[in-house]
Amino acid sequence: MSQGDTNSAAVPHVAEDLHGDDRWLSQHNRFVLDCKDKEPDVLFVGDSLVQLMQQYEVWRELFSPLHALNFGIGGDTTRHVLWRLQNGELENIRPKVIVLWIGTNNHENSAEEVAGGVEAIIKLINTLQPQAKIIVMGLLPRGEKPNPLREKNARVNQIIRSWLPRLPGVQLLDVDNGFVHSDGAISRHDMFDFLHLTASGYAKVCRPLYELIMQLLEETPEEKQVTLA
Amino acid sequence: MSEEEQNPAAIPTPMSDVQGDGRWISMHNHFVSSSKDKEPEVVFIGDSNVQIMHQFEVWRELFSPLHALNFGGLSDGTQHVLWRLENGELDHVKPKIIVLWVGTYNQGHSAEQIAGGILAIIRCIHHRQPQAKVIVLALLPRGKNPNPLRNRNLQVNKLLEEALPALPSAFLLDADPGFVHSDGTISHHDMYDYLHLSRHGYTRVCPTLHRTLLQFLEATNTSPDQ
Ligand SMILES: [Ca+2]
Repeated sequence: MSQGDTNSAAVPHVAEDLHGDDRWLSQHNRFVLDCKDKEPDVLFVGDSLVQLMQQYEVWRELFSPLHALNFGIGGDTTRHVLWRLQNGELENIRPKVIVLWIGTNNHENSAEEVAGGVEAIIKLINTLQPQAKIIVMGLLPRGEKPNPLREKNARVNQIIRSWLPRLPGVQLLDVDNGFVHSDGAISRHDMFDFLHLTASGYAKVCRPLYELIMQLLEETPEEKQVTLA
Repeated sequence: MSEEEQNPAAIPTPMSDVQGDGRWISMHNHFVSSSKDKEPEVVFIGDSNVQIMHQFEVWRELFSPLHALNFGGLSDGTQHVLWRLENGELDHVKPKIIVLWVGTYNQGHSAEQIAGGILAIIRCIHHRQPQAKVIVLALLPRGKNPNPLRNRNLQVNKLLEEALPALPSAFLLDADPGFVHSDGTISHHDMYDYLHLSRHGYTRVCPTLHRTLLQFLEATNTSPDQ
């Protein structure tokens, strides 16, 4: 993308240690270490929506058995994920599927820029992990009532969907099946703070995600078995 | 103007909607309206550490049976909680106990200011809910490694330890089971991002709190003026 230089969402960036407890870097360093002693088939990368998923039963039920690693950090934007992936979180592993869920925190960026940031991450993954199939999770609506951020997130999904023909090996999974009710409201039963998912909110999202992951894993040839034979 | 009025942690302040989706005020409105048809014995008030507790099995196991309501917000500081309490969250309830857990998000505030903010919240509760005992949960350490915010939270706890005995209806509960290991680190098994408790972390904190709540509830049930 030629305007990559000017899109801040596509420029790798270390998160500032705003609070002074260095938590962001501590988490990144742990993920880099995870890569050294684990062999994940599936890797989840993103923000708090990825991170919080690991705290619920659904993770143990559906994704732990797949040898999945969870590299979610709360508050992250596309540029933070870019930096993390460029700095060790894709080394020493060879996942078959990478699930990417990022962009709802890119408050300084337009929808076009956020989509550009996601595309930059996809390209980086293609370079460092060419064998990996990528699932981009569509951004969810947010806020109790209709608001500009919902429109922006929907627009990000729309742009990424329009780019899919030129992004081989990438799937967009739109998991917004009914979070917005007919009156325009989002329920706290699905999103406890109108952004983060509850256990039942994750159940709605994780079933279709699990099915898509399984489908991609089945399509992926078992290299180890081939070499053994 | 008194010292307290100059303390930003003790001035009721609505959280500004910087992101633009109105989530903070939406949650506040929900807390107010959900309190109207409930008769909670216990109300939990605080930041996301209170809110996330509500999402895990431990809440249903230990606190739902006590008729507890959860008014945990986002990254609320003391000034935000103070605003919420002065704007309706205590208007329709008459709990026996209020659990207060807030202060680790007070960005840019000193330990003295945060402790002052917590004391201001306690005074606000006492004014609006004179029958309620307030259990103030001590702030937890944070960050994987030792850092200034751990020291600040520790200092807040010390200041509360000094101040709270003078207040008849407020009690400090330090429910930290020892999250900091001997090498100075905190494990992500307890705090998944070195700030928020994991499911496992909550199971280490909540039984202590639950025991304390049962003791307080028993005491209020047997006291003649109830
Ligand atoms: Ca856990």
